[in-house]
Amino acid sequence: MQDLAPEKKTRKRPFLPPPFVRAMLAGHSALGIAFAALIYIVCLTGTLTVFMHELKRWEQPDAPRIEEGLTAEAAANAVESTYRKALALNAAHDVFVMGPSSTQQRLLANFHDHDSGVEGHWLGDAAGNLVVEEHAPWAEFITDLHIRLHLPNTWGLFLVGLTGVALLSSLISGLLSHPRLFKDAFALRWGGSRRLQEADLHNRLGVWGLPFHVVVSTTGALLGLSTLIVGVLALAAYDGDSEKAFATILGPLPTADETAAPVPDIAAMIRTVRAEHPDAEFASVFIQHIGKAGQAVNLGMKTPGHLAMSNAYYFDGAGKPLGDGGLETGTIGQQILGALQPLHFGWFGGFAVKIAYGILGLALTVVTHSGITIWLARRRERGRPAPHWEKVWTALAWSQPLAFAAAALAIFAASEAFAVPVYLATTIVCMLASQTAGEARTVSRIVRVLAGLSIVATVFVHGHALWDRMQDPAALWVSGTMTAIGLVLLASALVPMLASRTRA
Amino acid sequence: MNVDALDLSHLLALAGGLLMVAGVVMLRERWLARGTDGLAFLIGGWLAVLAAVYLFAETWGAEMGTTYALGAISLAAYTVVAATFERRESKRREPREAAVDPEERPTNWKRGTGKALLAIVLAGVASIGIGVAIAVQAPWPPQDRAVIGGLLVPILWGGGMAWTLCDPRLVRATLILLAVSALGYGIAFLPKALS
Repeated sequence: MQDLAPEKKTRKRPFLPPPFVRAMLAGHSALGIAFAALIYIVCLTGTLTVFMHELKRWEQPDAPRIEEGLTAEAAANAVESTYRKALALNAAHDVFVMGPSSTQQRLLANFHDHDSGVEGHWLGDAAGNLVVEEHAPWAEFITDLHIRLHLPNTWGLFLVGLTGVALLSSLISGLLSHPRLFKDAFALRWGGSRRLQEADLHNRLGVWGLPFHVVVSTTGALLGLSTLIVGVLALAAYDGDSEKAFATILGPLPTADETAAPVPDIAAMIRTVRAEHPDAEFASVFIQHIGKAGQAVNLGMKTPGHLAMSNAYYFDGAGKPLGDGGLETGTIGQQILGALQPLHFGWFGGFAVKIAYGILGLALTVVTHSGITIWLARRRERGRPAPHWEKVWTALAWSQPLAFAAAALAIFAASEAFAVPVYLATTIVCMLASQTAGEARTVSRIVRVLAGLSIVATVFVHGHALWDRMQDPAALWVSGTMTAIGLVLLASALVPMLASRTRA
Repeated sequence: MNVDALDLSHLLALAGGLLMVAGVVMLRERWLARGTDGLAFLIGGWLAVLAAVYLFAETWGAEMGTTYALGAISLAAYTVVAATFERRESKRREPREAAVDPEERPTNWKRGTGKALLAIVLAGVASIGIGVAIAVQAPWPPQDRAVIGGLLVPILWGGGMAWTLCDPRLVRATLILLAVSALGYGIAFLPKALS
């Protein structure tokens, strides 16, 4: 983080010695410059991913919405229905069913066969009947960009994990290069010196949001790097068998017995759990090797007052309990494991928590953006301006909302296959075209106008395509919010321009 | 949850939120005061923040309540900072507002590559070594060992990255990271090697 020098004539020794601060700042700057673009994209898409379920409802506004938790019978019916669908496609291998919760109001049913690669994603009603195939390509485009940058799974996860490490490292070096942490704790000086304004914004948003920033960067890095870490752990302790290492953490694996067997009685398992935990609600069930004698059941049941999405209860195919994961009330490691994903995405505690995560996520995005802006302003202040980089950074930052909207328009107008190429093309064209502009401010205004227009256009096209299917109120809320964002972007670019013309 | 319980929890949550904002406002008053003035605001501010944390924990339980409180203090501070921002017209800065500049270091592509390798590769190798050593050898249940060892990896990697990029002496950083890596992987793989 950038900050201000201690007063020259102070009575006390500075909190952090100036040479140490300067060295830390040098490291902080180098790290920021190297990873800024990746951190910015991951933070911005992460902020949107918090609302993934709402975006999916916006794309499919006529799919069933379920207000209450699923009954045991409905959950069992959903498993049976999913199994039948999977059988019909010869893909009955692993089945996952997730019920509605405070985080999302849908019944999701997925199946997947490792050998053939065939998979299915369905949405069901409150009785557990599968109604319609899930189809939300734009939400998936945004989520995939956040989780693996649309790269092959292992590389993408690793790169995003490394980005999380870089962000965490920036937070550490930022904090250690901040000698006026307390002296400037509430200062936000707006206008005047650009560098001072951006430094205040960077530091206030960075320091006051620190608990959130540390939590999302640490959990994100761990989620991204887990395959690598578990791979090394497997080499050290499990003869190189990663599945075995994962099983230590995530629970029992199915056995190799492929003899045909009945689908497990999920309703009975739910009743077994409720006998000990009467307030437990069905959250999800994952059945590996379904319909085979070696099948393994991981039943997720949630009790109130815990961060974890649910605790995992393990059963064999015959319904024999095999213990639980302790994700809600187990040991410290088990509880951390249960809290990782909800804490990272803000998927606990309902919509109010999502709003808070949205604000804090946006703050982290602004911190990343202002870090580079400070570096560029410092260069300009010291007589070494970098106008090309100023324009490139401005174009990259503001082109993201434009590129997201362009990807949505491509999906609506043509096909989801165009989403990634259109996103990349929009970003690259903006960055290249920015070099033709006179100054970064012009680039910022033009791209913001384009972003605002394209977001409003996306809402219009969505409404035009799906108006007669708008049964889910979330669709109207998302459209309203997107329109507001589009108009704010337009106003932020046009109002100062019109004002300066009026003055002239 | 019956209606009375719902109302009570809403009231407690509202009181917690208001106390949090009041606490942050009092801390700002102390920040505005000079010297030892405003000590009462400092004590009152932190007491109000602690009381808010207590109310959140009382309403939602310790696990959820503490998490909500940590988010609430950030949002309360953002609100107070945004509501009290200072508008400036002049680009002139007070002497006390002069910025610290990063250390100027002579660099070239070899040194840059070396730094990148240290911060990204060697710091990563060392932190994974330590994390896996804990996951294999710590005297805790297997799941705890694996999760805590895994959680330490990004924290140590991030710390190692910050340190290697700040330390101008490449050789020192290299030697320390190599030693840490040898120690970590030695501890992690020793039982397998000896068996």
